[in-house]
Amino acid sequence: MGAILSISINTFREAIRNKIFYALAFFALLIIVTGHFFADISLHNEKRVLWDIGSGLISFFALALSIFTSASIIHKEIDKKTIYLVLSKPVERWKFIAGKTLGLLATVYSVITAMLLIFIVEMLLTGVSPGVNIFKAFILIMGEVLLVVSVSILFSSFSSPFITGMMTIGAVFIGRMLPDLKQILFMKYEHDFWRNLAESLLQVFPQLYLFIPNGHDFNGYHVSITTDFVTWGFIGWSMVYTLTYSCVILAIASLILSKRDLT
Amino acid sequence: MAHLPLEIINLEKSFGTGFLNLKKVKPVKGISFEVKEGEIFGLLGPNGAGKTTTLKMITGLIFPDAGTISIFGKSSLSASSRKRIGFLPENPWFYEYLTAREFLKMTGGIFSIPSSEIRQRTDSLLERLGIAHAADTQMRKFSKGMLQRAGLAQAIINNPDFIILDEPLSGLDPIGRKDVRQLIIDLKKEGKTILFSSHILSDVEDVCDSVVILNSGLIKQKGRLSDLTATSAGTVEIQTQGPEMKLSDFPEKLRDSIQIESISRGTRLIFTEENANKNEILSFLIDAGQNIDKVFKHNRSLEDIFMENSSESKQQEN
Ligand SMILES: Nc1ncnc2c1ncn2[C@@H]1O[C@H](COP(=O)(O)OP(=O)(O)OP(=O)(O)O)[C@@H](O)[C@H]1O
Ligand SMILES: [Mg+2]
Repeated sequence: MGAILSISINTFREAIRNKIFYALAFFALLIIVTGHFFADISLHNEKRVLWDIGSGLISFFALALSIFTSASIIHKEIDKKTIYLVLSKPVERWKFIAGKTLGLLATVYSVITAMLLIFIVEMLLTGVSPGVNIFKAFILIMGEVLLVVSVSILFSSFSSPFITGMMTIGAVFIGRMLPDLKQILFMKYEHDFWRNLAESLLQVFPQLYLFIPNGHDFNGYHVSITTDFVTWGFIGWSMVYTLTYSCVILAIASLILSKRDLT
Repeated sequence: MAHLPLEIINLEKSFGTGFLNLKKVKPVKGISFEVKEGEIFGLLGPNGAGKTTTLKMITGLIFPDAGTISIFGKSSLSASSRKRIGFLPENPWFYEYLTAREFLKMTGGIFSIPSSEIRQRTDSLLERLGIAHAADTQMRKFSKGMLQRAGLAQAIINNPDFIILDEPLSGLDPIGRKDVRQLIIDLKKEGKTILFSSHILSDVEDVCDSVVILNSGLIKQKGRLSDLTATSAGTVEIQTQGPEMKLSDFPEKLRDSIQIESISRGTRLIFTEENANKNEILSFLIDAGQNIDKVFKHNRSLEDIFMENSSESKQQEN
């Protein structure tokens, strides 16, 4: 446990001492603060607008931060040879991956938690009560962050930061649009071998659409944080999905890293 | 039976380079050696000999194509084989956003050393390596010498029994070199085993107990340093003051085995002990009215052995 904890603390430290990260985090907090001007101009729909904007922004920045902070995470260590200082010690390579992942999660979770807190304060100031749906949405966002970070770490275990970033962004787009893509498949193609293959391929992508806090159609329902939001059961299952999917992905990343010569 | 700190058998490693890694280079071509408990072991060889590649295999950063490495009896393929070792990589890079203290705290944490103990060891190591004044400075502001010292500190934070150093003296000024050499000697006195690589022989000559000389991925020489540099081929140099001497002034049987040259106010003679008797020549010189100024006996230096081997392998390659 010592190794994993040390590596994750170090990863967290690296992120928060990075100027670009600071700028992003600062920007995120600033945007959240300005959210309430939108609420002001929307006359009597304050609650709806504020909730929509808040959860949407948190979700967006959570993704942006996840992609940004994790794209170079493994590559940089190998490139700068700092990894020699860690892996020449009695540390299995999967522990390195685990430490990096936890450090990144801690980083992104702290920023979005700060965003959430500001958001709640804003609501209180505007006289809107922060309902339980906000927290449900927040849990979903945390789950999505875990998926995105894991996918990105998998890519970064064998490719450069740029490629990793591009592939992760691609996976995020596909993952969020899976229902639409399936719909297209369903309408355009016969029920044949190729459609089945395409469908199972889509199944391999992280099912990120499950975690969009707001405004998406889901199995025919319009899910909204302000009206009919997902049940706790749904959240429970999405968490089980997130954890399982991430563990598998990270295990593959560990396997790839443990076969690599660190030169 | 206690296991040796290091035992390497028929180690080989190649890398793919170029387009699709199709071209192969083979920096380590089948080497075997062992390091015994309590010795200072030098892994020597010119640039590109395969030293770093070998050390990276020992520390599990890269994997051998063939052969085995055991560290205190455990295969280098398992992470636990690295419990009792400390390693300083070549030209180490650091997490530059960390201070030296934070960095040592992190490395100590990797070994699960309790934090009170880490704190205490960090202080004493920073002191010992002469960078206590920069303990709370981010390492991006460190000079090359300070980085090397920080690297040494992390290599011994876990109080390892076996310490592996890749070019520990590189990038250091004369004071730094002396300090690090002293550190290596002190560590040996504390009962540690040390393996270090170098391509600068004068640096290691007076420190190592045993050496391996590597060239182009093969072992050219190995053994105890004292055996390798044994005096059998020792050269003797005599400087005299007195009237100028010519080779024809010497008895006939000596003429083939000595070289002479005139120096200011006298003559210099050079010969090997195999070919001529030192005392005989000295008494001849005294009889000839020469004033003996200096007598040196040069042992065969590592440098000589090194040069012999490098030129040999150059010839083989051509
Ligand atoms: N990752 C790699 N890919 C391709 N070739 C490599 C790789 N690493 C090392 N080599 C080659 O292997 C040879 C030996 O390199 P190595 O770093 O082991 O030498 P060295 O003895 O440590 O030299 P130096 O004294 O310069 O540090 C060199 O010719 C080098 O180009
Ligand atoms: Mg080297």
